[in-house]
This record gives sequence, structure tokens and C-alpha cells, in this order.
Amino acid sequence: SIKMSEIKLSEAASTDDSAEETDWAAAKAFFDNLKTNKPRPVSLPKPRYAVTIAVSSRTLFNMVAERKIYEDEGLEKYVAYQQEHESEPLKPGAAFPFVKALMTVNARLRELYPDSEELFDIVLMTNNHAQVGVRLINSINHYDLTIERFCMTGGKSPIGYLKAYMTNLYLSKDAEKVTEAIEEGIAAATMFMPETEAETKLSDTQLRVAFDGDAVLFSDESEIIVKKHGLDSFFEHEKEFENKPLAQGPLKCFLEALGKLQRKFYEKNERMNCPIRTFLVTARSAASSGARVLKTLRSWGLEIDEALFLAGAPKGPLLQKIKPHIFFDDQMFHIEGAKELGTISAHVPYGIGQKYHKGKLIEQPEKKK
Amino acid sequence: MASTVQNTDVKQKDADRAVVVAVTSREVFKSGPDDGGEILEIDESHLLLKLLHRVNERLEEENPEEPLLFDVILITTDSQRQQQSSRIISSTKHYGLEISRFCFASEDDFAESLQTNNVQLFLTTDRNEASQAAQKGVLSALLDQRVAISTSDQLRVMFCEDAVIQPDSGHTPSFAAQMGEMRRRFRLSDSPLSFILVTLHGGRDRCADSLLTLRSSGLSVDEAYCLAGAPRGPILSVLQPHFMISISSSGLEK
Repeated sequence: SIKMSEIKLSEAASTDDSAEETDWAAAKAFFDNLKTNKPRPVSLPKPRYAVTIAVSSRTLFNMVAERKIYEDEGLEKYVAYQQEHESEPLKPGAAFPFVKALMTVNARLRELYPDSEELFDIVLMTNNHAQVGVRLINSINHYDLTIERFCMTGGKSPIGYLKAYMTNLYLSKDAEKVTEAIEEGIAAATMFMPETEAETKLSDTQLRVAFDGDAVLFSDESEIIVKKHGLDSFFEHEKEFENKPLAQGPLKCFLEALGKLQRKFYEKNERMNCPIRTFLVTARSAASSGARVLKTLRSWGLEIDEALFLAGAPKGPLLQKIKPHIFFDDQMFHIEGAKELGTISAHVPYGIGQKYHKGKLIEQPEKKK
Repeated sequence: MASTVQNTDVKQKDADRAVVVAVTSREVFKSGPDDGGEILEIDESHLLLKLLHRVNERLEEENPEEPLLFDVILITTDSQRQQQSSRIISSTKHYGLEISRFCFASEDDFAESLQTNNVQLFLTTDRNEASQAAQKGVLSALLDQRVAISTSDQLRVMFCEDAVIQPDSGHTPSFAAQMGEMRRRFRLSDSPLSFILVTLHGGRDRCADSLLTLRSSGLSVDEAYCLAGAPRGPILSVLQPHFMISISSSGLEK
């Protein structure tokens, strides 16, 4: 399947430039002429240059109570409820700290590169009904989030719009939509709120993103060996193929996009003060199976700031120390461990890990229609 | 001289309550060679008529006596087609199209005919025709070229602030009110009719304003997209609207 970064490169060559320029110029003129005291973006990046992050309404805001109304009383009652309460801002959701951190990075990028369109572009991608949108927009205004683009599809699938926006990462509470996005080559994950309050606040000056390795940054080829043949076979295999790069996983391109932005800070001598930091948090061990992972990253020309090899130890306590704004893992077992100790987690439903729970093969439920 | 003829094969709609929609014959029938053959070849764009008809069918399922239906007029807008009146009538009957009336006009008087027939919405692919009609105070919308290949069985009506055709402030709010009422005959999901708001250049506050203005005119749109300058092509090809109604940048009410 085609990865988003490849699509962006080929689209750049074939897009109708003049129509695009007109749309973009008109938007710039709109924002330039806004008579408002609030600082608003001078220009919004064109999708083909931006790192586009699509967030659903339920990941951006806490809509648990409203969701219950939808499930218990149906769509009409739910929309009516949202409309009645549309002046009341919603509370922050799981993706909220991540979005604030993206905005922090954008502010730093604009300082250093005032005319660049290589920025994060946050799009609200929801299949909520448009009338619920008024409350969503009011809530965005309340927190002064820089989200100007959205799709409220009134029940229709967001997948086509994700592609139309050349989305680099899609976050949702709906595992089916996330799975569909991954199948279409779009990095995506299902977000979970932590069960406990984190002891100390997350950084408000640096975006911190943690990734599992196998079946997230890399393919699940090695995980298959563990599941089918056991750990010893896995160690032997990884040593034997240490110099053969692993295949790409669904979030490789997102790490790549983060790396491109990091390099913009390095080029301006801001490496020590870079507002993006990436972490690899893997169950592999440094001694036996870690080398292949580092060599694979190097062969891709990608850097990761910190690589943490747990050799099978639980990830929760380490993530508590790292305090990422988001942690991506393909195994629900690790997601649950992270959540329990206060880390905002995002499940990547990809690969062999979906068929197993705590080492046991699970019954696959009937696919919902 | 323009003339209007009733289609005796089709039940006439309620003159007070029905929403009169005019579609040009160019969208329905291909202009064929003048070979004297009776039946004209139907164009793929007649899919639009099927969608309008389907809304009517669903409305009558909810209420067999429903007066708020689409009342479709087929209008010729050039003298060449005006000459083919009998072929147009017989072709319409041949295909069993739900067209209540025919209006045979030319370039010079079609806009006036729209007025005299109380047309509330004029659909065409021709921008000049749409502008002429708008100047006479008739709400006009551009048919999307993709209507022919759309696979949707839902009529998708888009409102956006694209100022290609200047909206007439006198008519758009009342049209929105009628559409809102028609939309409310159906539930939020599984509707044969969907209303879409697209904000092309403005940001979220512009979108919120338009949502609220349309709502206060009586129409709660189903879908909303705010592009804030992103290229419209990729989004519109997913969205697949059948036609676009222009709303002014300050909303519907001046």
C-alpha cells in the first residue's frame, strides 16, 4: 500500500497549480483582512507541504457522556442534546495535549521560518452531524486551538477525506475507521485516555512522541516469528539478519515527517533546544535483537532521539518517566499497561499482534456491517 | 414566444406548496442529428431527475398526501431546441420521466419564462444561463459535471460562498426554509436528501456563521466542510455534490 509521503511527492507534480494558488491566496487574503485582536495564523499551509494530523471529535474532546446519549437514546436525541448545549465548551480529550504540543512546535517553526509551509496542519475529521459542529467550533474557540480545517461528514466514511487532505496521521476512537485507514496506507491509531492522572504535567515546550518498534515503525515480520516459533528462534533470526533492514510499518512515515521538521531546527542550531523529541520503546533487548532495529532506522535515514530496550520488562513505568504526549503500540497488552500508569496511548491495529492477547490466540469477532 | 405545456402523463403538483425546479432539456436529452426520428437519446445527467423523483417517492411513503414535493419543469433555453418541442414531449413520455410541465423558450425569453412559471430553483451546467436567470431574481445553481457519474442514490445539495453566480437575497432564505421543511420529513440518517455546507476560503468562524444563518433560515445542514484555502478539487471529488447553490459571503440575509 502507498504511504502518504509518497503520495504527497507525486501529487506535487500533477496538481493543478493555478486553481490551488487561487484557493490558497483567497484564504490568505481572508485571514490577513480579519479585524480581530486574537492572533490568528497569517497563512495556513497547503496540504502537500504540511504534516497533516487529522483528529476525530472524540479524541480532541471528551465526549463520553454525549456518546452514551447517542448509544442509549439514538441519533436525533444526541444531536438535539449537543445543540442545546452548544455554548458549553467540551472538556479536553486524549488528543488534546498532543494538539497543544503540535501548536507549540508550529510557533517555534514560524519564528525560525516565517514563510515556510512545512508546519503541522491540524484537521478535525469527524462523522458527526454538522449541527454538532457548532459546539465543536465553540469549544475550539474556547481553547484557542489553531484548527481551521474540518470535515463533518454527517455519518459518511472519513477515509476519502483523509486522502484528499494527504493526511500524515489519523487519530480516532473508532477502531474500525483506524483499521480502514491503515489498510489504505494512512498512519492511524485508536486513542485511549489514561486511567490515572499523570503525576506531573506533560511538557508544554516540547512535543514528545513514543513509538513501539515491531508492527508500528517496522513490519510485523519478526513478531510473527516470536508468536509462531518462540523467543529463542526470534533471537537467532534477528542476529542472523542483523544487517537486513526490516520492512516498513504503518507509522514509519509519520516518524519520517517528524524527522524532517526536527532537521529544520538543527539547521538553525537549535538541536539542544529542539521542540520535538522521539522515543523508541521496544520489548526487544539491546544485546540480542536491538541492533537490527537501529541499523534499519539508519538505513532509512531516520533518527530517533532515544531508543529504550526493555528486554520484555513492562513499558508502563518507563513511559511514566518519559511522559510522551502520545505513545503508539500495536499490542493492547502494552496499551493497557501504559494507560494504567497515566500515559496517553494510541493502539495501532496492525499485524499479527491483533490475533493474540497476552500470548494467546484470540477468537476473531464477526466483522460489523 | 415561449409556451408552457402540461405533461398529461404525470399528476400535477400542488401549486402553492410544491418546490418548482427547472432543468434544461440540454441536461436531459442529447442533441441528436435532425434525422426526424421521434425519440431523443437520453443523457446520463437525467440521473438528477431520478434523484428528485426518488425524494418525491420517499416523501409520499411518509405521507401519501404530501404537498411539499419537487415539481420539475423541463425548459428549453435556445431556439434550436425550442423547435423540437414535440420530440421533447414524446421522448419524456417514452422514458416515463416525472416532468410536470414543459416550457419551450429561447435564449431571449427563457429567464422571463422561469419567472412566470414561479420557478424556485433553476439547474443548469451553463454559467451564462445561470447568471441571466439570477439577474431576473431566479435562484440558480450550477449542476456539477460529475452528476452523470455519481453513484450516490442520495440527492446532495451543496451551499458554498463561491461567487460565480451572485445569489439573490430575496429568494435564497425562503428556498432554504422549504428545503429545511422537506429535510425534516426524513430522519437524520437514511435520508434521500442531504444538505452540505462548504466554506472554501474562510476559517471556522465563517463556517459557524453560515451554519447558524442557514439554521435560522430553517435549514439544518447535514454535513459541513471548512477548507480554509485547501485545494477544493480533491475534497469535492469525494463529496460529490449534485449541484451548488451560492450563498453570499455575509450569509443568506443581507
